[in-house]
Amino acid sequence: MVSPVIEKRKKALSMSTWLWGAFIISLWMMLSPSTLIILSLGMLPTFVAFFCDRTEHKYAVYCVGGLNFCGILPFLLKLISDHSLSAAMNIMGNVFSLAIIFGAAGLGWLLFLSIPPVVSTVLIIMSDSRVKSLKAIQQRIIDEWGSSVVEDSELRTNLDTSDEDMIALAETAPPKTKQTE
Amino acid sequence: MAEQPLEADNTGGNLPNEEGKMFEPTDVPTKNTPKQSSGGNEPIVLRDRYMLDMATPLPQFDSPSAKSYLAENRNDLGQKLFVLICSPKIPSRLESITKQTGIDTMGRLEVIEWGVIYWPPLGQSTMAIIFKQPLGGRINLRLASKEVIITDYDIPKKLVDPLAKILQNFANQDTPHRAIRPENIFFNDEAMTEIVIGENFSTPPGYDQPSIYEPIERAMSSQSGRGIGSTRDDIYALGVTIGVLSLGQNPVVKMKDENLIQARLEHGSYTVIFGSSRIPLPLIEPLQGMLNDDPEARWSFDEISDWLSGEPTNASQKQLLEKAETPFSFQGKEYISPRLLAYNFSKQIPDSIKAAQGQAFDIWLLRSLKNKAMSDAVKEIFDNAKFHPNGYQGSIEYISFNLCMILDPQGPIRYKGLAFMPDGFGPLLASEFLHNNNFKFATTVLAHDIGLTWLANQNPPFPGAPDLQKNFKVLKGFLEINELGYGLERVLYEMNIGQPCHSPLILNDYVLLIEDLLPAMEQASSVADTSQIPIDQHISAFIAARFKHDIYPHLKAFGSKSRGTSIVGLLSLLALLQWKLNEQKMLGLSSWIGGLLGPAIDIYHNRKTRKELEKDIPRLVRKGSLPELFSLVDNIDRRNEDLLGYKKAKLEWVAAEEEVNDIEGGGDIRIKKAERAGQQTGGILSIIIALTFLSAMLIIQTW
Repeated sequence: MVSPVIEKRKKALSMSTWLWGAFIISLWMMLSPSTLIILSLGMLPTFVAFFCDRTEHKYAVYCVGGLNFCGILPFLLKLISDHSLSAAMNIMGNVFSLAIIFGAAGLGWLLFLSIPPVVSTVLIIMSDSRVKSLKAIQQRIIDEWGSSVVEDSELRTNLDTSDEDMIALAETAPPKTKQTE
Repeated sequence: MAEQPLEADNTGGNLPNEEGKMFEPTDVPTKNTPKQSSGGNEPIVLRDRYMLDMATPLPQFDSPSAKSYLAENRNDLGQKLFVLICSPKIPSRLESITKQTGIDTMGRLEVIEWGVIYWPPLGQSTMAIIFKQPLGGRINLRLASKEVIITDYDIPKKLVDPLAKILQNFANQDTPHRAIRPENIFFNDEAMTEIVIGENFSTPPGYDQPSIYEPIERAMSSQSGRGIGSTRDDIYALGVTIGVLSLGQNPVVKMKDENLIQARLEHGSYTVIFGSSRIPLPLIEPLQGMLNDDPEARWSFDEISDWLSGEPTNASQKQLLEKAETPFSFQGKEYISPRLLAYNFSKQIPDSIKAAQGQAFDIWLLRSLKNKAMSDAVKEIFDNAKFHPNGYQGSIEYISFNLCMILDPQGPIRYKGLAFMPDGFGPLLASEFLHNNNFKFATTVLAHDIGLTWLANQNPPFPGAPDLQKNFKVLKGFLEINELGYGLERVLYEMNIGQPCHSPLILNDYVLLIEDLLPAMEQASSVADTSQIPIDQHISAFIAARFKHDIYPHLKAFGSKSRGTSIVGLLSLLALLQWKLNEQKMLGLSSWIGGLLGPAIDIYHNRKTRKELEKDIPRLVRKGSLPELFSLVDNIDRRNEDLLGYKKAKLEWVAAEEEVNDIEGGGDIRIKKAERAGQQTGGILSIIIALTFLSAMLIIQTW
């Protein structure tokens, strides 16, 4: 019942984003077509990553995009001195420039592919160590309180009523012996 | 009627078979006998003061159920004493002993001391009561041997007056004597001028009385079910005693009890016992008054006093016996007295019910006895039985009980072949339960409200009826509780103050008072099987009945299904006894209980605490203090600490378990989580690099 509403909202947002995007790009094209060309062509690996990465958080986009941008940045800075379309075309027509830009994006992909196994291995090692420590705590509890603590916990039973009976009886102890103890 | 001289009444000489056997020397005492036993004929010492010489029997002071021996006071050797050794199988009248010890004798044999001693001939402990010797001997023997002569004219002054005064004193103490008979009256002095009456402690009320000395309703009862009765019953016995002493013989000695009772029911007690004897003229009126079979019409002390002082009495009321105009034939005999018919009905239950169901019986009740109420009541019994064909109300025993009660309302309760008065239920229960193993009888009497039904049928009300009704209700409640400390055993000890504890563990120790229980158990601990629990149903019921402190929580714990809780309950109960009764060291018992404490220690959850307790127990066992042992095992602070610690440990364990499950929970999820974390790290790293590079480039460009 709720999901169609959410889907509608998503579609509406998407349309709005597209409109805003079109507006910004149009404005950008009028103000600085050279940077738009470099960015639109240079950031192609990032766009590819955006469409390829089906995950919710799009971490591949961040990885590729970040380094892809690093590759473009020196050429964007070059445009400050010559802000023309031909300068932009020269940069993008140069194999060396393209190699730097796409090489940086490739490094981004490499980062995206190599970091997770390393991190997950580290995390698994850490959680294994935590499990060992918790099991040691449980063993200590069993050593101190007996295996009934496990049975009671597993059965989720309350304490034996005999415990309450024993306390009631203990209250009847002779005063002398109460003091002695 | 045949008569026989008084000398023939060999009191104490011929004990009943069973009693006689009890006093015969036994073999070596069983292993569970007290240590104070002495071998051979060495005197036994009571309270470090009275030497009881079992080598010197004094048959002249024997009671029918108790034998007499010479006793000496170490501090006053001139004092002439004798000791009465009671039968351990018969409950004594403890309440009477305690009432009569150390107070003015007022015409009774003086009780010097009493206590429980080990008596080698019996091979067990029993009750010993020390009396001052009556120097003049038994009155019946003296009169028979003519060593003293009391003329017919002296009887009122020398016999009736002193005996009536003594019984009046008993009445003032609210304790009827219930053992008045010629053989139990003594001359206290050698000059044979002062009369004293003998003991009434060794057996339940009326137990030793020949039936002639019992009013008809109690004479019909079983020997142990005759009941405490009232002073009216003492007056009846006094009347018969005076008659017998004045005649110098028992006029009906040759009559069988059965025939005597039947005759008394048909013709009245006075007529049967003294009707054909030459009773001195002045005694006829008082004897008729004192032997009246209607307790309400029987003479009281006021009338005896009036008669003694020569004042006119209004007691020449003739006894009216209910009789039918024509006889009712039952088993070839004809009956005109409904009381006599009831007596015979109770002996032939199936036949009597058939007879009572017949039309002839109803016609007899209506036309011959002219008692429509009785006829209606009989019909009601059978209607009720038809309505409950499968219930106890439909059983022939219950029908018979009701039938006899309707025909003879004053007669005893007749049920399942036994007859008893409601105030005699306690001793009868003891006799049936302990010696005849007939526990079903007592159970059904209480469960089916037999006593209450009988009491409700009494008009005028039975003396002490409200108390008896309350007792029956309370006892029924005890019977219905199926726990330790209740049941039939509890009923037994509640109803018989003089009943020693019947537990096999301490049976030979004759534990009569609660103070004697722990010492007896201590002694038993040296020979008992210490792997067993030392308290059984008898001991727990005995404690519940005799110990005047709330022991319900202890019994509840003791009765628990958990072995550990049960052991702690046992220890707490015994510790309470030792504490409240100020008992000294109980080394044997402590050791016994100490050996059983394993499951009790296991109730503690903390293993370290358990080890500490196991280490401390031997030290406290050596101290012989059950309260200290209890405080060690069930210390409230330690118990709370253990409980809280255990709860905390459980929570900690559960938290750890949940975390472990969380970490290990589902391999794929865990890997995906790690991958996602790696991807996140890669993204962040890339952004950081980008930002750093951007910053560096901007700085370079600016410079």
